[in-house]
Amino acid sequence: MSDDKTIKEEKSDVRAIKVTTLGKMMNSFGIYAIAVFFLVLGIVLQSLGIINNFLTTTNMMNILDAVTLLGIVAVGMAFVTYSGHYADMSVPTTMAFTGIICVQMLQFGFIPALIITFLFGLLIGLINAVAIGKFKANPIIWTLALVFVTKGIIRIVWDNKQIYPDFIANSERTSDLFDNIFRYRFFGKISLPLVMLIILIIALDFVMKKTKYGAQLKMTGAAQKAASFSGINTEFVIGMAFVICALTATLGGLTVTSLSRVGYINNGVGYDFKAVTAIVIGGMTLAGGRGSIMGVVGGVLVMGLIDNILTLLGVGTFSQDMIRGTIFIIVVGLNAKSLRSLGRDDA
Amino acid sequence: MLKKNNNNQKMLKLIDKNRIYFIFLFVFLFMSLFAPRFLNVFNLTTVTKTMAMNATVAIGFTMIFIIGQLDLSIGTIITFSAVIGLSMKEYIGFGGSVPLAIVAGGLIGLINGLLVTKAKISSFIVTLGMMTVLTGVIYTMTGGNSVSLSSDDAFAVSDFLGDMIFPFITPRVLIAIIMVIAFSLFLNRTRTGRNFYMVGGNKQTAWLAGINTDKYTIITFVISGTMAGVGGVLYAMESAAAPLNLGTSSLMYIISATIIGGTAMSGGKGGVFKTFVAILMLEVLYNGIILFGLGNEVKIFIAGFILAAVVMNEAIVAYKHEKIFGQRPELIKELKQVQN
Repeated sequence: MSDDKTIKEEKSDVRAIKVTTLGKMMNSFGIYAIAVFFLVLGIVLQSLGIINNFLTTTNMMNILDAVTLLGIVAVGMAFVTYSGHYADMSVPTTMAFTGIICVQMLQFGFIPALIITFLFGLLIGLINAVAIGKFKANPIIWTLALVFVTKGIIRIVWDNKQIYPDFIANSERTSDLFDNIFRYRFFGKISLPLVMLIILIIALDFVMKKTKYGAQLKMTGAAQKAASFSGINTEFVIGMAFVICALTATLGGLTVTSLSRVGYINNGVGYDFKAVTAIVIGGMTLAGGRGSIMGVVGGVLVMGLIDNILTLLGVGTFSQDMIRGTIFIIVVGLNAKSLRSLGRDDA
Repeated sequence: MLKKNNNNQKMLKLIDKNRIYFIFLFVFLFMSLFAPRFLNVFNLTTVTKTMAMNATVAIGFTMIFIIGQLDLSIGTIITFSAVIGLSMKEYIGFGGSVPLAIVAGGLIGLINGLLVTKAKISSFIVTLGMMTVLTGVIYTMTGGNSVSLSSDDAFAVSDFLGDMIFPFITPRVLIAIIMVIAFSLFLNRTRTGRNFYMVGGNKQTAWLAGINTDKYTIITFVISGTMAGVGGVLYAMESAAAPLNLGTSSLMYIISATIIGGTAMSGGKGGVFKTFVAILMLEVLYNGIILFGLGNEVKIFIAGFILAAVVMNEAIVAYKHEKIFGQRPELIKELKQVQN
């Protein structure tokens, strides 16, 4: 009798699974449900006459153009989050630094400049890889420290000056090529950064889902100790994630510098927060090992849609900050809550 | 043989635990001997004055580290409180606006704490989001302009806060020092204070021992917000102005000081007084750098470099510790001696 009772109690004590509709939606469609929601919101607002020109080809292309830069940075940083190491806060300064290096090196021609820039990006990635991968330094604090070291170097070497590609490049052709990194358009429509982003998405999604490295990364992100005990070289796996992040940040730095046509210390400011937002609302949890590149892309698209709708509504930049921060906290909270109620705890 | 080794190790551990005092002494002596015009009352007062704000804010931040959380929003809370304290003065006077500013800081901390404990969102996310939200709020409130006061009574308060009452010490510095000592005693000498260490050291054990860990976490976030508010508003009152970049550099400065002072981010270790000495050390160092005529650029570089070096050092120590985890190095050593 008493045995029966305990069994019954145990059964009713099984982790209470409360599947809310929202949790279900978040789980099955992920971020794209939210993207569709904002798309519909935009269309509704347009049909009510509150905003104009939302559902036009030009505006849709504008949204894509606006988010390509963020996308390039975010898909790389996603690897760091996926490996369970929160975020790489040094992305903004890496962008500024590599941009400045590239402008400075344009004096040797376009191709040498690109090569040297990527070498510097690789160097930053390797420094992070050694500190965080091998010696297990705290990722946030280490990358914050690196931010200030890099800022100091930029300020000391370039003396707080902005540098312009037009003055430094060895020929007009070189500076034109540099300007075209952001401005070149295939068939007059599809921009080069968008093509770079699509290639990156395909390549990195393949790496994350289909390769041995991707599987190892997932295991490392989900349970680092277990991964290391099962013979995975976690030091290399984590280090590699930071190298990938630094390389995509370099690509982002080149693009943003080409966009503004000036090498400047504040070129990448804000991309750390934006990228983390996109990654986390894209369903990649900070605990690591969960999420996908496609989710991150969805997160980036949602960010673009929110920005676009807010701008069309005439909301100021600073109020946009407030709204973006609030959405960020709420979405992460809801996501964590739905995961917890599904029994997939994420601490 | 073995015993002597152990004694040496104990000495080394003791030195490592109190390393910040040695570093401070070294930096202070170095600057006194070599930096031009360092050792005089005027310059040392400048040092204590500039350190006052960050010393106050660092109290809360150290407690955040002790319970094993992270608060990236302190920098913006400093600015937020300073802006509120000055812009509300017109309507309700300092008597009303200063408490309001401090309460506002505490309220932000309360929101952070509730989101971290009740909604169970990682403190990194919460405070990063809060930082963005507050930046938006600050710029919307001020329209992007610094707030400054120019009435006579505002300058009277400013003069009072900036005047020396003892050598090196102005009222603002005195407030900071009193609070550091009070919190230091509270954390080390009272049972409630010790509980904070327990929550940070091992949350599960603390909970099993009957400590309401959520309550302690929320209280710590409130203290952190309140202290950031106190630091920000007092600074703004002394300079009668609240520049919008007031707190931007504080975050990094305070993180450096806290870690150099020996408080680990994993929680359960460290102390408020050590952070205070670390802040004093950094301020002496920066002051010396400026006196050598090296400029702000070098200051930023060295600050980042020091933080990187300390983080790396901590990481390497932990790495070595982990490598011999489960092994008994003294036995291996003895075995080698026997073989020789």
